[in-house]
Amino acid sequence: MRKLYNQRYLILMSLPFVIWVILFKYVPIWGWTMAFQEYKPHRTFFEQHWVGLAHFRTLFQDPMFYEVMRNTLAMSFLSLLCGYTLPIIFALLLNELRDGLFKRFVQTVSYLPHFVSWVIVAGMFSRLLGVGGAVNEVLMSLGIVDKPVLFFAKGEYFWALVTSIDVWKEIGWNSIIFLAAIMAVDEDLYDAAAVDGAGRFRRMWHVTLPGISTVIAIMLIMSIGNLINIGFEKQFLLGNNLVKEYSEVIDLYVLNYGIKIGRYSYGTAIGIFKSVISIILLFTANRVIQRFNVEGRVL
Amino acid sequence: MKRIIPLSLCLLLIVGLIGTNVLAAENDPLVLTMFSGDINPDDTGFEDPIAKKITEATGVKLKMEYPVGEYEQKVTLMIASGEYPDLIFHKNAGPFVEAGAFIDLTPYIEEYGENIKDLYGPYLNRLRYSIDDPSIYFLGSFGVGSKTWDVSGVQLQHAVAKELGYPKMETVQDLEEALKAYIEKYPTINGQPTIGLSLLADDWRFLITVTNQAVFATGGPDDGEWYIDPETYEAVLHHTRPEEREYFRWLNHMNDIGLLDPESFIQKYDQYLAKIASGRVLALTDARWQYEQAEQALRQAGMFERTYGSYPIVLNENFRRADLQDPGYSAGWGIGITVDCKDPVAAFKFLDWMASDEAQILNNWGIEGVNYEVIDGKRVIPPEEMNRRLNDPTYRKTTGVGLYVYPFPQRGDGLLDPTGNTYTITTPDYIKDRYSDVEREVLSAYGVEMWMELFPQQEELPIKTWGAAWQIPTPEDPKYQMAWQRIQDIIKRRIPEAILASPEQFDAIYDKMLAEIDDAGLAYVEEKFNELLQNRLKHWGIVE
Repeated sequence: MRKLYNQRYLILMSLPFVIWVILFKYVPIWGWTMAFQEYKPHRTFFEQHWVGLAHFRTLFQDPMFYEVMRNTLAMSFLSLLCGYTLPIIFALLLNELRDGLFKRFVQTVSYLPHFVSWVIVAGMFSRLLGVGGAVNEVLMSLGIVDKPVLFFAKGEYFWALVTSIDVWKEIGWNSIIFLAAIMAVDEDLYDAAAVDGAGRFRRMWHVTLPGISTVIAIMLIMSIGNLINIGFEKQFLLGNNLVKEYSEVIDLYVLNYGIKIGRYSYGTAIGIFKSVISIILLFTANRVIQRFNVEGRVL
Repeated sequence: MKRIIPLSLCLLLIVGLIGTNVLAAENDPLVLTMFSGDINPDDTGFEDPIAKKITEATGVKLKMEYPVGEYEQKVTLMIASGEYPDLIFHKNAGPFVEAGAFIDLTPYIEEYGENIKDLYGPYLNRLRYSIDDPSIYFLGSFGVGSKTWDVSGVQLQHAVAKELGYPKMETVQDLEEALKAYIEKYPTINGQPTIGLSLLADDWRFLITVTNQAVFATGGPDDGEWYIDPETYEAVLHHTRPEEREYFRWLNHMNDIGLLDPESFIQKYDQYLAKIASGRVLALTDARWQYEQAEQALRQAGMFERTYGSYPIVLNENFRRADLQDPGYSAGWGIGITVDCKDPVAAFKFLDWMASDEAQILNNWGIEGVNYEVIDGKRVIPPEEMNRRLNDPTYRKTTGVGLYVYPFPQRGDGLLDPTGNTYTITTPDYIKDRYSDVEREVLSAYGVEMWMELFPQQEELPIKTWGAAWQIPTPEDPKYQMAWQRIQDIIKRRIPEAILASPEQFDAIYDKMLAEIDDAGLAYVEEKFNELLQNRLKHWGIVE
């Protein structure tokens, strides 16, 4: 009690934020009740028709749901694999550049695409990879293919395409945090390693990487927690009717089979499902990392 | 004294404030918010000359809001929030009516609706919602009592027809041979490869250039995703008709022999338009409103040979196109006043004014002395103005002419006002005036003056008593909607797949599609839709 009194100003200062969290993060959970009703917007809460787990049953019986889950998980794992490791490598290599001006130039150029909207990126790539696009022209003049390749017509290419375009767009941006972490590594350690006869790669491996391992672990946990929330912007803009089997993701499914046809309850049910999966993923990742490295434990 | 100066200044300030407020209240128009289900790319924020005239006459200013992305999505979110703008232009009344969003306009029409009664005439009853609910929730869009002189048909470049000596252009085989012959002669146009036929499958546009065309080529009218037997009034999902399989087989064949643009199912709308505007696409199966913009670019570039003629292409001699069939008036889409409207009487009076002769002429013709002249009692658009109107893509935006015709209550093409002039500027003469010299040359070679003369005429075709089936609102039934969405998804996937497959695989994929549609609940959807159709026919007094 005394402690509480001593910290009264601090508590008072944090109070608005606690209220904010409750108001905007916990109160909306009340909306989850919709998932167990056949919700109609113009009825009050007590007039709603309750249906129990019917929406979940429909969801798990729908073959399309499994298809969109497969696509979602495949694309998010691919993007985790590439979109997470490549920026680390990129940051490590960039750090080895001693020339300040060139380094800054590369860094700026590499993170610029992050600010370009997906609409424009999709337009650019569909022209670049189109029938008369630059890529096909190069491939044809090199004699690798004799007919233009329709990159966006083959479902099998779609995952790889989305992942590569995503990497191109985000690699610079995602490497910023790692670069910042590298800056914080003690210079003396490098000197000591050099004295011990460690070369450049040895120093990267034994000094830089362990130095930023905490940041790596935190970033990993955060991105794993969001595995299922990949949005649908890029899939929607890059996809077309021919590749639907590979391009439809869970958020698009929510849109088409939930909100678009006025089935608010069904959409909510999928939302709950997604939250549960996210929480499970988050805790698993946290456990796994804890096992390898105590410092990386964030929860 | 020292006190008095600041005090009087204060007083002055207060008087000044009140003064401006009073003045402002007198001059400020009533701002009505309106949600429009269709995006108007030429929106001027109600600041163009025509909008100013409307505000002058009605004291109303519209603040428009459009769907970002898909219409349905915006609508369901709006209903969930329970907050509506003053006016809503909807494309499916069901969800709004069920949520109780619209007020019944019947008493308003009785009291203030002279112009509206006059405009809808005998069709006013069709505005009543259903047999069980005779309220009028909205005023229907689209021209009432319209005549049709303008058809889209299947489009072929004038250059092709001219080059090949105006061959017979009636069936898909005729088209195919013409394309083949022309590409052989001219494998490139302006340095880029010539494309035979290009389709567009970007989102819903797939329906316009791919699946609707299968109905049209097999003699059906536009009933959206349905085909309705004109004798039994039985509706079937049109893709299940065996004739249409043959149309898609032809597209498959076109792809096989390299006449179909390989990017047909990949390209987005802007890429499609750019391709057409480059002049290297010989044929389209599209609706004019969709490719018009690209054609306008061709006209501006002086490439008149690369613009398109409209031909009555059918699958084979046994079919005749129903493009000119009279669909009556359907009253499925329209503008309603919401329960949240701040001043329903003013909003209604505004809509009624929009239906008046004065407004119809203002919106269709423009401002007298600026956009048109009256010579000997006849409204005439000077040639200079006409030229801008036809060829300047910014004309609508800068002048406001034509911006507020659709989706407001609208007199149909060809109807005469009390002065003996047509309400709209679309008349046979107007259409003929619009033709370029190349177009006239092609038409005269086919022995006609207008494209519509090539098509089976309205008198030869049965009347569509059921109106346009695509304007029948979908039921608020989760089972129906889920099945419907699934069926649409299957069609969007399988038809492109079938067209691009090798010819021997075509049937297997098509059969697979039909089986999947059945599994998705086709029987239920068809049963429900036929119920709705029967209700409409009863409601309109067509069947007992």
